[in-house]
Amino acid sequence: MVRGLSKRFGGLRAVQEFSVSVEEGQTVALIGPNGAGKTTCFNLITGYYRPDAGSVVAFGHELVGLHPYHVCARGLARTFQVARPFGKMTVLANVMTGALLRDKKLPIARERARGAIEFVGLSAREHSLASELTTMDQRRLEMARALATAPRLLLLDEAMAGLNPAEIDQAVALIRHLSRRGLTIVIVEHVMRAIMAVAQRIVVLDHGQKIAEGGPAEIASNPEVIRAYLGSGYAHA
Amino acid sequence: MALGLLALPQVVSNSFAIDILVRVFLFAFIGVAWNLLGGYAKQLSLGHAAYFGLGAYTSTLLLIRLGVSPWIGIVAGGVVAMVASLPIGALCFRLRGPYFAIATIGTAQTLMLLFLKFRDFAWGAVGTTIPNLGNSPLMMQFTAKAAYYYIALLLLAIGLAVTYWVERSWMGYYLVAVGEDQDAAEAVGVNVPRIKRDIYVISAFLTGLAGTFYVQYIYFIDPNTAFSFNVSVNAALVSIVGGIGTVWGPVVGTIALEPTSALVQSWLGGGRHPGVQLTLYAVILIAVILWQPTGLLGALAGAYKRLVRDAPGIPGAAAAARHAPPADE
Repeated sequence: MVRGLSKRFGGLRAVQEFSVSVEEGQTVALIGPNGAGKTTCFNLITGYYRPDAGSVVAFGHELVGLHPYHVCARGLARTFQVARPFGKMTVLANVMTGALLRDKKLPIARERARGAIEFVGLSAREHSLASELTTMDQRRLEMARALATAPRLLLLDEAMAGLNPAEIDQAVALIRHLSRRGLTIVIVEHVMRAIMAVAQRIVVLDHGQKIAEGGPAEIASNPEVIRAYLGSGYAHA
Repeated sequence: MALGLLALPQVVSNSFAIDILVRVFLFAFIGVAWNLLGGYAKQLSLGHAAYFGLGAYTSTLLLIRLGVSPWIGIVAGGVVAMVASLPIGALCFRLRGPYFAIATIGTAQTLMLLFLKFRDFAWGAVGTTIPNLGNSPLMMQFTAKAAYYYIALLLLAIGLAVTYWVERSWMGYYLVAVGEDQDAAEAVGVNVPRIKRDIYVISAFLTGLAGTFYVQYIYFIDPNTAFSFNVSVNAALVSIVGGIGTVWGPVVGTIALEPTSALVQSWLGGGRHPGVQLTLYAVILIAVILWQPTGLLGALAGAYKRLVRDAPGIPGAAAAARHAPPADE
């Protein structure tokens, strides 16, 4: 639950009075044109930026003012717009680093990490260096690393950027699978096909402000969303 | 090999050779201490002389002012270094990358200036000699060089054991993650400021031990020796040359560099071209960073892989994956 979140960078109002509430178990998509403030919202929620105003409450805790690692300990895990694996570590070591948040014993962390790696379908590359993976596999790895921290809410920042259509289908399947397991998901995405497939609710940002919110069909036919983001061609599609 | 090292002083009576080995062990030990922070977490400290000097001065002050044995002094020196590393770390870790390195240089230099000014309390720029008591094991003084050899070897063994333990615990994973990407580490719950502080404290403690030992070994202390920038640089250098972020890297680096430096020093140092030996040193460092960023250990491991495990496919496939363009973009 986010209320009245605002952030300025100098004269630029990156996010203004942004409020949204996400119900547990839902998958919510955050869309909008480039520079609309989507990633800034993620950074505000996960403690990378400190908001100028507003509050973020998750599972009964206020998150504003917490460091990113404390936010993660509260059950919110995120991925980055550009995957940021620990390149010189193996896939397994990467994911174990996430798993160590919940238990500092290596054998237990290793077991949990293997579970997460299997879940994203990366078991065959367990001993590869993260820097040697393809873009798709790096995204899988980042998702596994986030999952290993045992989150209740997963924030995915453009998890599908740079993927080809077949890979997007795989990613969609993965996200749906996570959702079915009861995980709450907030996803920033540009691939509308994927959003329509996974999101129960869509929030549209433009110039740092929320301009619309609703179900996928509702958003796809909203004239203001079409003007600001989807483009007029989308209404007929 | 361990037995060979233990028996060596009984066989080798040449005190010049023993002296070189003591220095190799000591500088390798400082490198090992540095490597915990600089190698695993990639926080390039160039101010470890601060802890070396504090360790040296703590035990010497205790010895000369209060008559306390350096055996107690060495632990006290480590503790003083530890305590000092907390505020120094709190300040310096606000900075990242080269700015962190510069700030750490500043802390060691500041301490050197302070000790230059403490004339009554700590002998100022003149320094002091350690009173020679002859053979007095309880006061960490020995007529036989072999005793220093064993102490230095023990220190190195302690440093390696700590590193081995850290590398194989959760701390090792967290440190490498911090070294790779601090923001990404925080995203998966790594308390980056805390892990940096903890490893810095351990690293400072070990470096403080080295300071006390060194003073007891050379029987002399002054601010320029104790807080020498060379100590800081050497600690980083042996790790980088040997293999940063590996248990044995600093040892390999010291073995490669220390005798070289001693020889180069005797050939070129103090002659008509003072400083030539430092230039040569710098050239070696640049060469290693350019051609073999993983250090000598990395080069050895690579050669080993090529020789022993050159099974068709495996290394080739890995190399192909590295060089393949990111097709999905």
